[in-house]
Amino acid sequence: MKWTWIIIAVLAAVLAAGCAAKKGFEKPGFAYGCPIGDTKIGSMEDLIKAKVLMEGKRTTIQATEMRCTMTGDLLKIDVNLNNDSSKIKRINYKFRWIDREGMRAWEEEVWKPLLMSENTNIVINGIAPTSKAVDYRLILQSQE
Amino acid sequence: MIDASPTHRLALLPLLAALALAAGCAQEKTRYGDEKAVETVTNQFGSTDLQMIAESMTRSMLQDPVIASGNLPIVTVQEVKNKTSEYIDTRSITDKIRAELQKSGKVRFAVDAAAMQQQVEELQRQQSELYEKEQAVEKGRMVGAQYRMEGNITSIVKQAKDVKDVYYKFNLQLWNIRNGLLEWTDEKEIRKTTSKG
Repeated sequence: MKWTWIIIAVLAAVLAAGCAAKKGFEKPGFAYGCPIGDTKIGSMEDLIKAKVLMEGKRTTIQATEMRCTMTGDLLKIDVNLNNDSSKIKRINYKFRWIDREGMRAWEEEVWKPLLMSENTNIVINGIAPTSKAVDYRLILQSQE
Repeated sequence: MIDASPTHRLALLPLLAALALAAGCAQEKTRYGDEKAVETVTNQFGSTDLQMIAESMTRSMLQDPVIASGNLPIVTVQEVKNKTSEYIDTRSITDKIRAELQKSGKVRFAVDAAAMQQQVEELQRQQSELYEKEQAVEKGRMVGAQYRMEGNITSIVKQAKDVKDVYYKFNLQLWNIRNGLLEWTDEKEIRKTTSKG
């Protein structure tokens, strides 16, 4: 009888541990497929905070989701941008590519203009120009 | 009636002198800018369009199995036809694409038709008696391309009283020279609208 309870308890613990494992955190140093190095990332908000920067005029456009994958040996990123205001917003964005040593892996990208209608979500994507690019930042800027 | 007595005319002189001075001081200023900034001086084809097209095409091509395989395919650049109503130096677009692809280290480029004359002239020059025979390059050693890159750019321009809308479509293709198959193609669309007021 005692052994039965122990087995049930062990099974319950294994099941709980399995359910608690977050998707995308299976590989050390990665969250949602995105490289994070030693940075502590516990949620999508943490990942966005670590990867999204503002330069120049600040925008109210928010990155709400970010996922990465490898296409061949190149890092590919999908970012969901959200305009939750009732006005059309115009922004510029670019990706900055970083190599293993934390240096720029590629020259600065061109700012890409983006029109976001009111209350919309748009997915933008970035593809690393070289396999040396192992990390990135998404940079946003308001046009207004 | 305006009183144009000599006293009043004299009183106007300092004002006129100040205006002339201000006009003279309104000199042009030249500054260096950010070459990667969004350029919207007019809605004609501009630097941002060129840079966005080159970046978009390069990143797309790098994902294609022909390039991603790591076999260092040899490509030659052919013409990008300008089918728009404005002057666009399409060579500068293909030059930028070629530079980015070459920098990626995944593609090699063979001499293209535009540079062939210079290549042949240099080869022939080295065959002359002016050069040491041992160090001169041999004929018949050039490597032919496996793929050719060509494309076109088209535009649709619509204009109403206070609005001008320009739509550009850039299409690039990578053809297999041996079997004539289209290995990769992609497009980049750009819309620019200018309105008065």
